[in-house]
Amino acid sequence: MKSRLGLALLVCAGLALAGQVLAPLVAEPWRQRREREPALRLEPGVAAAGQGVTLALLGGFRALVADAAWIQMYARWERRDLAGTEAFARLVTTVDPRPVYFWLNAARILAYDFPAWRIEAAGGYDAVPAAVQRAVNEAQAAAALELLGAARQRHPDSVDLWVEEANIHLNRRGDPLAAAAAYREAWARPRAPFYVARLRAEVLRRAGKRAEALAWLREIHPALPEADLGAGAELVLQRIRELEAELGVPAGDVYRPDR
Amino acid sequence: MKGAPFSFLRLGLVAQNTLREAVRQRLLHLFLGLALALVLGARSLRDFNFGAPELKFIADCGFGAMTLFGSALTIAATAQLFFSEIENRTALTLLAKPVWRAEFLLGKLVGVALLTALFCALLTGLLAAVLWVREGELMALDPEGFRGGRAVSYAMVALGGWLQWLRLVVLAAFTLLVASFARTQVFAVVCGFGVLVICHLQHLAQEAYTRAGSAVGVALGGLFGGMFPNFQVLSLADSLAAADLPAPGTMVRLTAYGLGWALAAGLLAVLSFRRREI
Repeated sequence: MKSRLGLALLVCAGLALAGQVLAPLVAEPWRQRREREPALRLEPGVAAAGQGVTLALLGGFRALVADAAWIQMYARWERRDLAGTEAFARLVTTVDPRPVYFWLNAARILAYDFPAWRIEAAGGYDAVPAAVQRAVNEAQAAAALELLGAARQRHPDSVDLWVEEANIHLNRRGDPLAAAAAYREAWARPRAPFYVARLRAEVLRRAGKRAEALAWLREIHPALPEADLGAGAELVLQRIRELEAELGVPAGDVYRPDR
Repeated sequence: MKGAPFSFLRLGLVAQNTLREAVRQRLLHLFLGLALALVLGARSLRDFNFGAPELKFIADCGFGAMTLFGSALTIAATAQLFFSEIENRTALTLLAKPVWRAEFLLGKLVGVALLTALFCALLTGLLAAVLWVREGELMALDPEGFRGGRAVSYAMVALGGWLQWLRLVVLAAFTLLVASFARTQVFAVVCGFGVLVICHLQHLAQEAYTRAGSAVGVALGGLFGGMFPNFQVLSLADSLAAADLPAPGTMVRLTAYGLGWALAAGLLAVLSFRRREI
């Protein structure tokens, strides 16, 4: 009995010693991995996820588990179950934060569907005062923007995340200047589509910032390839002319393309 | 065993025999068949895929199959191969000859390591083939999307297979450590799965103790956590892009970490087995 206890202690001591010697070897890769993977940290979403995360972490079927959870999320979405939908949306982005698709659609549900459900549950758009509706929209937009912020930590070069943020500022919060700032960020990302730059100018113009819109269009126009129809160089030049006319820019100061 | 020096030749013979015995087991065929079916069938699961790019989804299914069925195979095969020698008394006959217990036990470990190497190599090769074929089809459908050539780094796929193998070897060594003092095969198998869970989730337990602020919890969590390897470290192959390939130095460290744990658990198993009455 004594010998068995001694052996058990010896084995434990041996394992502890091995752990002490070997752990420093992987300290840095482990630190980097934990920073990238929310599922490897004890965050509220992980704690609430239970078996789903356990299976994903144990079995490695992260994509499959995330997809199954996404289907579960839609089942709750159909029932307009706010808490369940949000919990599963956050679970999916925790288990598999790699696809931008999950982040984008979760943010859209938070920003667009949730306010409608909450207002309808409170009596409908006719019954709920406008101030309350605004507060609900603001609160849900803030939740969606927070989710997009978390998504950007994982996908810093994603244009779509910034475009979605701009859309939420514009459509849910009615803040075109914040939308313009987000479109600018989207345009700064690699492989940003040309329409993003045009949208920024348009929201600035609608916000009454015509001089800023003009300056922006003059800044981007030289970078637009004429051969690419999607770039819309002609269209941008036409808008520049319209804005110059609206602002009464003197003939000597009008924009003259180099090409 | 006194007199004859430790022999790697005898160790190799035990390993060879263990491997031969293992490949005859129906258990191996079952798990291998299931894993192969899942890797090959990953393409048919595409309809359930929403977020991940298709090739990444297929790779996830492949590595998931390797982890799940590989772990089950490793634990079951290690326990069965060890206890069959004890229960059939062949260990007694073998150890009556000039064979060290260390040679016997480490030979078993090397045999299981070879078995898992075959398993991982087969599945990694099959996964790479499935990815290659599907990537070719996607390239034909959307040449613009693959303007820069193939997107999948097959070195990354191979790295994923290598890390899976390291995990399985460590798991085999721990299962053997339990088997070296366990009285029944069932106990060794159950403990093997327990080790698998601990090695995957111990970091979450440690973090929970730390957040709870309990000094006793932190101390115990640190102590037990330090006695088990962290399998999440050996899952770095998360992407399929060549740009995400870990630096060679990191790979060396990960390999040293995996093999170091396997060696430590293997040597402790020898220590324990030396005191066992057969």
